[in-house]
Amino acid sequence: MASHPVVVIGAGPAGLTAAYELGKNSSSSLILEAGKQVGGISQTVNYRDFRFDIGGHRFFSKVPMVTELWNEILGDNFLLRPRISRIHYNQHFFDYPLKATNALAGLGVVEALLVCFSYAKTKVFPNAQEDNFEQWVINRFGYRLYQIFFKTYTEKVWGISCTEISADWAAQRIKNLSLKEAVRNALLGQRGGKKGEIVTSLIEQFHYPRLGPGMMWERCEELVAGFGSQTLKGIKVERIRHRHGLVDCVSGRASSGEHVEFEGSDFVSTMPLRELIEAMDPQPPAKVVEAALGLRYRDYLTVVLVVNCEDVFPDNWIYIHSPEVKMGRIQNYKNWSPYMVPDPSRTSLGLEYFLWDKDDEWTWSNDRLIEFGTRECAQLGLINPRDVEDGTVVRMEKAYPVYDHHYQDHVRTIREYLETFSNLQTIGRNGLHRYNNQDHSMVTGVYAARNIMGETHHDVWAVNTEKEYHEEGRATSVNVGDRMVPMRVKEYVDELPMENEEELIEIVFAKLDPVALGVAVGTVSGLLILIGTVILVLKGGPVVGPNLSLLGNFLIGFQVTWGGSLVGFLEGGIGGFAIGYSGASLRNWSMKAYAQFIRWREEANRRRNLLD
Amino acid sequence: MGTDSKSNEELSRVVAKIQGGVLAVVCGLMGGLGLFIMTIWLLLEGGEQVGSHLQLLSNFFIGYSVTWKGSLLGLFYGALTGGVLGWTIGFIYNRVVGIRGR
Ligand SMILES: Cc1cc2nc3c(=O)[nH]c(=O)nc-3n(C[C@H](O)[C@H](O)[C@H](O)COP(=O)(O)OP(=O)(O)OC[C@H]3O[C@@H](n4cnc5c(N)ncnc54)[C@H](O)[C@@H]3O)c2cc1C
Repeated sequence: MASHPVVVIGAGPAGLTAAYELGKNSSSSLILEAGKQVGGISQTVNYRDFRFDIGGHRFFSKVPMVTELWNEILGDNFLLRPRISRIHYNQHFFDYPLKATNALAGLGVVEALLVCFSYAKTKVFPNAQEDNFEQWVINRFGYRLYQIFFKTYTEKVWGISCTEISADWAAQRIKNLSLKEAVRNALLGQRGGKKGEIVTSLIEQFHYPRLGPGMMWERCEELVAGFGSQTLKGIKVERIRHRHGLVDCVSGRASSGEHVEFEGSDFVSTMPLRELIEAMDPQPPAKVVEAALGLRYRDYLTVVLVVNCEDVFPDNWIYIHSPEVKMGRIQNYKNWSPYMVPDPSRTSLGLEYFLWDKDDEWTWSNDRLIEFGTRECAQLGLINPRDVEDGTVVRMEKAYPVYDHHYQDHVRTIREYLETFSNLQTIGRNGLHRYNNQDHSMVTGVYAARNIMGETHHDVWAVNTEKEYHEEGRATSVNVGDRMVPMRVKEYVDELPMENEEELIEIVFAKLDPVALGVAVGTVSGLLILIGTVILVLKGGPVVGPNLSLLGNFLIGFQVTWGGSLVGFLEGGIGGFAIGYSGASLRNWSMKAYAQFIRWREEANRRRNLLD
Repeated sequence: MGTDSKSNEELSRVVAKIQGGVLAVVCGLMGGLGLFIMTIWLLLEGGEQVGSHLQLLSNFFIGYSVTWKGSLLGLFYGALTGGVLGWTIGFIYNRVVGIRGR
C-alpha cells in the first residue's frame, strides 16, 4: 500500500488547484482520478482534432487570486474572446443578455403589450412568497417574460418544474446587494483582477484557453508533477476507511480492474457528496446515508456534429427555448477559439441535452443521438442535414447538483457528519453540492490546501454563498452566522485594504443628524434675531428698526421691542430648526436614493445574465 | 425586516460630525465675499441713493457703508459674522450629536 502525505480524490479544477497550492508550498500530493483525462467537467475532449468542452467554459472570476492563478498556469495561451449569445424562441433570435428593445421588437406588438401588462401587474401585485424559482422570476420580470425566457429553458436544464426549484438558485446568482456594496462597486469598481479591472465588461468578453478549458488543467497537471506530485488516472475511489474521526486510507479500482489502496495523512475529496457518503467505511449513521441518497444530480450529454460549412452562426452559443425540440443549448466551438477545429472550413457544433440517467435518450446509441441532433438542428433552421460529415457523443454524469426544496437540509446533515473528521475535506462543485463555476471550485481547493498547511481555518462551505465575503475579492475576519468567514487573503494587500474602503464609504455617506442640525440652525437663527432686535432697541430713535420689524410679516407677534426680541428668538428658533432638520433629512435621503439607484442598476444588470 | 435586510439598507452607520473650523471658514468666506460683492455691485450700479437698504447693516456693523471703503469693512464683518455663525452651528450640532449618541 502506497503512502502519501495528502491524497486528493478527483483531478478536476478543485482537486488540481488544491494540489497546485500544496505544491507551491513544498507539499506533494497524490491525485486519484477516475477518468482517463484530467479537468473533470472542465475537460476538453479531442475527437479527430476537433476539440470541444462539456458545455462551453468561460473563464471569468471576481476573485483576483483565481485570475492570477489562471494566468500563472497558462500564460500566453489564455485568450480574451468576444461573447455573442442569443436565445432561439419561436423561430426568432433574441439578444442575450436580454435587451428590452430587442426582446419587445422580436415578440411582436401584441405579445410585447401583454408582456408590459403582466410586468406592471407583478409590480403592483407581487407574489408575497418567494420560495421557488417561478415566484422569484415572476416578481422581477412578470409572468409572460418568465414563460418565454425562463420557464422552458430552465425546465429543460433541470428537468423539474420551476416551482420545484428553490429560489436560492436565482438569489445565489443575483446576490442581495447591500447598498454599501453597490456604492463601492460603482465608486471604486468591482475588483476583477490584480489591477482591479471592471468585472462587468466580462459579460461581453471572457477568457478562454487556446485549446479549450482542458488545456488549463492539463498544464496544471504538468506543473503539479513538477512539484513532485503524481496524478493517477483511471482510479475510481470506492472506499474511504476511517477510525476515531480520522481517515487513514482510500481504496478503489484501477481501470485494469486491480484493487488499489492508498494511505495518507490528509484527504481532500471532490467526489459527489452522495458517493462520498456511500464510500465511507464504516458506514455513517442512517440519517446521513438517507440525506446523501436524497441529493439529486442532473446528467448531461453533448452531441457533437462536424459540419462542412465555414460559418454556421456567429454566436459562441445559442439558448434553445423553443419547446418543440429537446436540445437546451448549442455551442459553436470555433467561435470560442479558432484553434478548436483542425480545418477552418469545417465547424463543430455541440448540441447540449440535459437529462436524468434514467431518461431513454441517455442510453440511446451514439448513432441514434447524432441522427436525432441533426434532425433537431435542421428543424431549428440552423444547418442543412446534408452538411453533417461526422459526429460523436460525450456523456457527463452528475453535471449539475440539483437545488430542490430538500437539498439544504440534506447538505446540512452531511456537513455536520463530515465535520467530525479532522483530516478529510470535501470541496468543489459536487463535493459541496453547489452550483459552482470553476473559480469557486478553485477557491475551495486553495482553502483546503491552506487548511492542511495549518493556516487559520478557511471555511470551504462559505465559498459562493449569499453570506460570503471573499467572492468580490475580499475577505474579512467577521464571523458570519454559523460560518467562519475566511481570514484576509494575503494576496490582496496591494489593493486598497477593504477596511479603508469600508471606512471611506462610511465617512463619505455618514448621515447628518437632523435633530442636531435643527437645534444648531434653530439656536443660531433665534440668537441672530434676538441680538439684532436688542441692538436696534438699545440704539433707540423715533422709529425703532422699521426694516427689521417687517419680519413681523412672518413671525407672529414680532416687533422691534424687548418683548419682540424674545418672540423673535423663539419663532426664529423654531423656523431655523425646521430648516436644519429638513436640510439634513433631505441630504440623507438623497444620498440613500442615489445608492439605491446604483444598486437597482447593478441588480438589473445581473438579472440579465440569469440563464448563464 | 430582519437584521440582514436592515443592514442591506444601511449605507453608513456613522453619524456625521461637523468640522466647526471648516464650516466657519466656508460660512466666513460666503458671508465676507457676499457682502463685499453686494456692496461693489450696488456701487457700480450707482444711482441717486446707492444701496439704501444694505446701508442699514451699519446698525450692526460699526463704520460700514455702501462705499468702496465700506466694501472692505463689509468683507471683514461678513467674514467674521459668517465664521462665528458657522463655527457655532458646528459646535452646537456636535454637542447635540454627542448628547444623543450617549
Ligand atoms: C454544461 C456546463 C457548463 C459550464 N460552464 C462553465 C463556465 O462557463 N465557466 C465555469 O467556470 N464553469 C462552468 N461550469 C462549471 C465547471 O465545469 C465546474 O465548476 C468545475 O468543473 C468543477 O470542478 P470540480 O473539480 O469541483 O469538479 P469536477 O469538474 O466534477 O471534477 C471532479 C473530478 O473528480 C473525479 N472523481 C469523481 N469521483 C471520483 C472517484 N470516486 N474517484 C476518483 N475520481 C473521482 C471526476 O472524474 C472529475 O474528474 C460548467 C458546468 C457545466 C456542467
